[in-house]
Amino acid sequence: MSGILTRLKDKLASYRVPGYRTKFDYKWTMVVDLDRCNGCEACVVACYAENNLPVVGKRDCDISRRFSWIRIERYVEGTYPDVKVKFIPIMCQHCDAAPCEIGCPVYATYHNQDGLNVQVYNRCVGTFTCATYCTYDVRRFNWFTYKWDAPLEQQLNPDVTVREMGVMEKCTFCIQRIRVAKDTAKDEGRKVQEGDMKTACEQSCPTDAITFGDLNDPHSKVSKLAKSPRRYRLLEELDTDPSVIYLKRVMEDRKGSGHGTSHG
Amino acid sequence: MNQPVLGLFKYVDSMVEAAVSMKDTGYTVTVFSPIPLGVELDPVVMRPNYIRYFALFGAFIGLIFGVVLALGTAALYVLPRGGLPIWPVTPTLLLAYESIILCGVIWTLIGFFIIARKPNFGKQIYDPKLSLDSFGLLVEDIREDKVEEVERLLEGFGADEVNRVEKS
Amino acid sequence: MDNISYNEINDDVVRTMTKTTWKYWALLIFCASMAGVLWFGAWAYQIYAGQGVTGLNTPTFWGIYLANFVFWIGISHSGTLLSAILFITATPWRRSIYRSAEAITFFSVLTAAVFIFVHMGRPWNFYWTMPYFTTRELWVNFTSPIMFDVFAISTYMTSSVIFLYFGSIPDLAAVRDKVTGWRKPVYTYLSLGWRGTDAEWHWLSKSYTFFAVFIIPLAVSVHSIVSWDFALSTVPGLNKTIFAPYFVVGAIFSGTAAIVTLMACYRKAMKVEKYITLMHFDKLCMLLLVMSLLWSYINVVEVFSGWYANTSAENETLMYRMFMKPHAYMYWLMILTNSILPLLFIFKSLRRSIFICIIVSIGINVGMWIERYLIVATSLPRKFLPNMWHDYIPSLIEISMTIGSIFFFVMLFLIFVKLWPSISIYEVKEDIGIPMRKGFKRH
Repeated sequence: MSGILTRLKDKLASYRVPGYRTKFDYKWTMVVDLDRCNGCEACVVACYAENNLPVVGKRDCDISRRFSWIRIERYVEGTYPDVKVKFIPIMCQHCDAAPCEIGCPVYATYHNQDGLNVQVYNRCVGTFTCATYCTYDVRRFNWFTYKWDAPLEQQLNPDVTVREMGVMEKCTFCIQRIRVAKDTAKDEGRKVQEGDMKTACEQSCPTDAITFGDLNDPHSKVSKLAKSPRRYRLLEELDTDPSVIYLKRVMEDRKGSGHGTSHG
Repeated sequence: MNQPVLGLFKYVDSMVEAAVSMKDTGYTVTVFSPIPLGVELDPVVMRPNYIRYFALFGAFIGLIFGVVLALGTAALYVLPRGGLPIWPVTPTLLLAYESIILCGVIWTLIGFFIIARKPNFGKQIYDPKLSLDSFGLLVEDIREDKVEEVERLLEGFGADEVNRVEKS
Repeated sequence: MDNISYNEINDDVVRTMTKTTWKYWALLIFCASMAGVLWFGAWAYQIYAGQGVTGLNTPTFWGIYLANFVFWIGISHSGTLLSAILFITATPWRRSIYRSAEAITFFSVLTAAVFIFVHMGRPWNFYWTMPYFTTRELWVNFTSPIMFDVFAISTYMTSSVIFLYFGSIPDLAAVRDKVTGWRKPVYTYLSLGWRGTDAEWHWLSKSYTFFAVFIIPLAVSVHSIVSWDFALSTVPGLNKTIFAPYFVVGAIFSGTAAIVTLMACYRKAMKVEKYITLMHFDKLCMLLLVMSLLWSYINVVEVFSGWYANTSAENETLMYRMFMKPHAYMYWLMILTNSILPLLFIFKSLRRSIFICIIVSIGINVGMWIERYLIVATSLPRKFLPNMWHDYIPSLIEISMTIGSIFFFVMLFLIFVKLWPSISIYEVKEDIGIPMRKGFKRH
């Protein structure tokens, strides 16, 4: 009995209840500078390669079953020639008050000590609740067991699971890379520092629009970018407290001039 | 050796009169009926309601079960989710509400089984007519020389049929 | 019901259980095979191939299965809840219909429960949603509305089975005394040695009252919790505070309509018109009328408050539901069947016309199914980010399972009427009255 109590005490001591969010070891954050983003979708391709995302084919794409964990949303305002084209890369926002985590009956998705919203594939039973509750539509479901034609299965990333049918998944902020970085840092007896790791999308972005890092570290690049006056978070009014920070694209308002938008 | 006597009546008021009279004489009476008799039986027997203690006990067990399950299991494996506290109030109340009802219902059933001594597949005094349209009055604890008197009395009260019965 | 004798009731009820015509067997085999092929065959294929055989897509993760789940849970709300409320209020017309109504409850909860497993991605892991001891100390998430569901529905199923069985014990004893052959030992054990002594009746009625008292708040909470599956999300069109009463009212509405439909068929098929009389339909249709008005009121409130809030997401969902094809057809059909047609029941002669009752009650059930379908299928395709908007079209597999579930339900009910005294013998006798020397005395 006392053993159980001690264990309970230890466990509860590791989190302050409520308000455990202030005690994260790291606060992984992604900053997307929309001023720099040119919509090339290199991040999407990199994500497919890194995270073993299946290519579902034409029929399934038609009924909106694309697998891209990160997607570029395009919005066009106005009619030609007076148009504004906007795009925004959207991946899992790793909300601190995530609606999906509340919905899962089996803890297949929960918040880990790094402030990440993680998905446990083995535990998932596929009730779809998380995806329904998700306000950003970033969750992807394995409608079938997807196969890779030979020799494409040779290029699968060995660090990442290949998911089976009936399992929900989503952007993990390349948790396999975070793990490696944390392990290395632990071996060297320090915390993970700026530049130890990059996510796949960040690495492949030609314009450096995506920055990833620890918001708890006041000297990291994301901490500095996060103070930008252009900063906003997606659908912030829903109070999901996302970990992805967007830097607003500054567009010149030339109503009626007929020359679209300016860059920079 | 006492010989139980079962009288079958067509009318409830005849049976109740017979039952009251038999009971006053000091015999043990049991009333059988195909339908529940409520206030009609009040002159014969008044019973307290013990079921409610079982229901209350069940509801109490359910409350504890629900609260311990919701809070205890959350504490066993601390997994933060959705910015909620590890011990959220509303879901705990909800769970306690459901388990109060579940345990309450189950304990009421157990209470019935215990008090009414069911299931009972042993030998019992019974007549198939009792589930049709006859109201039965079983008189027990009769001295052997009084059996015939009891039979005559029951017939006098209007019993259609009076049988000396045995457990079958 | 004055001319019925006590003996006749026993004979009639036992007759419904023992006398079986070829038509019954034909219908039973037909329903069983349709349920097997359309539902379980399709489900087996879906388990083998994956959820991809449905028409679900990325914003619309919940479709027809969830609509069916809510629909069948709704049907279940007539029986036990109605029976308990009418018992507490000592309403005499409850007595000859409540047994079948409670059976409807049990079978529709069963059907609904299967749909939970049907909609799961990995149904073979269903037991992970139950709280049980594992060596990994990993339990279930009690903040999840799905978890509330697991508890509410299992409590509801247990309680309504106990309620149904408990109320039937005296009747099972009555059946035991009448039947022969293989039925004799079965009913001997089912009736638990019931003799009908004053003590047994006393404890039975006391316990029954407690069951009724427990079940009324339970039934209300069950459908509230089902509504919270939707209402606790942030999706526009689902995140509505009015959902809990809306669902409870809708559930009683559709459940009562299901009772009317089934009773109309049942009394004809089983020739028990003298027990289930036009008076019963009169009362049930009055209830339908009240529920219809309540439902219409809440529906107006839902639309009006959404429109008045005037947020873009809310407006889009409302427009999508009410004015865009194909949902507009369904929406306005629902208004016709649920709000307008039941107004026929204002007239007493129409309440007492079995034909009108059947037409309107089937209409209500179609309308209520549409309501549930629209809630799911017009909210999820219009979530917050327009880039991901995508319509949902159910696949043949989903439609087949929907139709199959109806056959499954009918099959269960057919089996029930042959195995169980589907009219309460002792309570119909109570309805006739207690025989006194000066005639029957009624309560």
